Amino acid sequence: MTSQIISLRAVDIAIIAVYFAMVLGIGFYLKKYTQSGEDFFLAGREMSAWVAGLSFLSANLGALELMGWAAAAYQYGILATHWYWVGAIPAMLFLGVVMMPFYYISKTHSVPGYLQLRYGESTRFLGAFCFAFMTILMSGINMYAMALVMKVVLGWNIHFSIWVSSLTVGIYVALGGLFSAIFNEVLQFFLIWLGALLIPILGLLEAGGWSGVVARVHQNFPQGDYTHLWRTMGSFADNPMGIHWTGIVFGLGWVISFGYWTTDFLVVQRVLAAKDIRAAKLAPIIGSYFKMAVPFIVILPGLLGLAVLPFRLAPESAVGPGQHSYNEVLPLMLARYCGPGLLGLGITALIAGFMSGMAGNVSAFATVWTYDLYRPFLRKDASDAHYVLMGRWCTILGVLISIGTAYLVMQFKSIMDYVQALFSFFIAPLFGTVLLGMLSKRVTPAGGFWGLLAGTVASISMYALVKMNHSLLALIALSSNAKDMAENMYRGLWSWLICVFVTVAVSAFTRPKPVAELTGLVYGATDLPSEGHLPVAKRPIFWAGLAFALFLVLQWIFW
Amino acid sequence: MKEKPGGVRHSGGGKATAVDTLEPEGGKDRHMLPVWFFVGVILLVYGVLILATGILEFSQPPPTVLSSLHPAIWWGALLVVIGAVYVHLFRPRKSEKQ
Repeated sequence: MTSQIISLRAVDIAIIAVYFAMVLGIGFYLKKYTQSGEDFFLAGREMSAWVAGLSFLSANLGALELMGWAAAAYQYGILATHWYWVGAIPAMLFLGVVMMPFYYISKTHSVPGYLQLRYGESTRFLGAFCFAFMTILMSGINMYAMALVMKVVLGWNIHFSIWVSSLTVGIYVALGGLFSAIFNEVLQFFLIWLGALLIPILGLLEAGGWSGVVARVHQNFPQGDYTHLWRTMGSFADNPMGIHWTGIVFGLGWVISFGYWTTDFLVVQRVLAAKDIRAAKLAPIIGSYFKMAVPFIVILPGLLGLAVLPFRLAPESAVGPGQHSYNEVLPLMLARYCGPGLLGLGITALIAGFMSGMAGNVSAFATVWTYDLYRPFLRKDASDAHYVLMGRWCTILGVLISIGTAYLVMQFKSIMDYVQALFSFFIAPLFGTVLLGMLSKRVTPAGGFWGLLAGTVASISMYALVKMNHSLLALIALSSNAKDMAENMYRGLWSWLICVFVTVAVSAFTRPKPVAELTGLVYGATDLPSEGHLPVAKRPIFWAGLAFALFLVLQWIFW
Repeated sequence: MKEKPGGVRHSGGGKATAVDTLEPEGGKDRHMLPVWFFVGVILLVYGVLILATGILEFSQPPPTVLSSLHPAIWWGALLVVIGAVYVHLFRPRKSEKQ
């Protein structure tokens, strides 16, 4: 472990203290507005498209986004941008244009709630159980990452960081529910951007613009190509990530990305809080524009680290005395450009990122536990006030379990790879189940359940098999050169295919639900509201098309 | 929430409950301060703190790269402007309280 990177002055401490006071103050202020279950778990369903959209994106901007992907950019170069562009934009637009109407019209409170309406209680239980498990693990990982950063960057005690930040999140979410989580996420969105934006601005000034960054990176690291998105994707061995374009396009761009952005309740919950169906459709589309810009504050600092830092960073496992690891690139760049005041703002941006991700996990966990596990399986007929109280206590309990998880994951060697593995376990098959359920009336409740179970079990089995016998990697990831990231992409793809195959096969031999019971849940059985009366500039499809065109232009520019 | 094409519906494993299909109450009038107001307040406070720090350190900038550009001053000023605009636009008004 290296010595701390940043020393804070009184003004920096004041800025951090103001932040904590503000998020707690918002929680206390919103408590009086959070009376019913709909208020606590769905923020009253009265959020505008902008609030829902920014909150949707902010919940995704957790610790791993800011620190992890800046580190990945230093390690893999611009390839890390795939997780923001092909690995996010098409899926976000698909959610807004195709899937959101079904979530919204069905009036469900959660993704497992949709599974119950479409397939039945057993599929809901499986989906809810997997989600709750994954969410708590993710929350713990988030917390651990934050505490580690605070220790390395500021020299703060790791236990102090974990307890203070997580209990703060627990208090404001328990008080104001999703209202409080969303309000704070919008606040955190601004702080993340305004706190992190100075690094790329000053970095580009120092390096002489983008062309200067490219020239310096090539000069410092002549052995690799760190500045092209697709050019090195023709072979597993040609790029530092050890991945082929098929893994990026089909594994990341299709299964993992669509699974995360369209079925992970952590993000979908924010859009379900929108005030009407047009706002619900626009929210992820608005989020997609900002998502496209996030590499500017996350990936570019990593590339700037390659270009301007006078020393080289090392992998976490190989850090020697006096050296820094890849994971420290963002704080190092922050310390390089920001003096007192700005440092406090930058550190607040990091803390805001950690807390928004954690609040997202905790509020989604509280909803799924209360409505999809506790209510249907433990106590069916309690009052609305009882479920709100359960949600509040569950929030605190979720935080405490997450703290326990944080201590557990301290031993794990690579946090990012762990997260991707979790996605491929649960999210990839779930995407198959939800997608088939929304698009086909012929898919049966039995098909949905067995497909989801088969996909999840297959994914965990593939992970375990490769751990036991590494030679199987060549079979699952199509190459023995594949790295962990590539393995996760292909495992997700296979588990999705298995889920789809089993769902279709079982559905062929079982009886589908009558069409009348699928109204509002399935394409072809639902009257989707027309947008023909709206001017073009107010139609979600127009803004989605524009975002997709911008996405294609970015691929071309950085090809 | 005007879109209700689904009407009454049955769930796969049983009857859809009220909690499964939360209906918005509609017509709520909470008089809640908009989130943008809170955003404005915190940006204004941060802007003042950072701008003041930048001015105090003008003659002795911190030992950071490009400190000669005095980023604390123009970034602090930017935060003050954004914060003030948000606070002004979304401040509580008497007519809204009634």
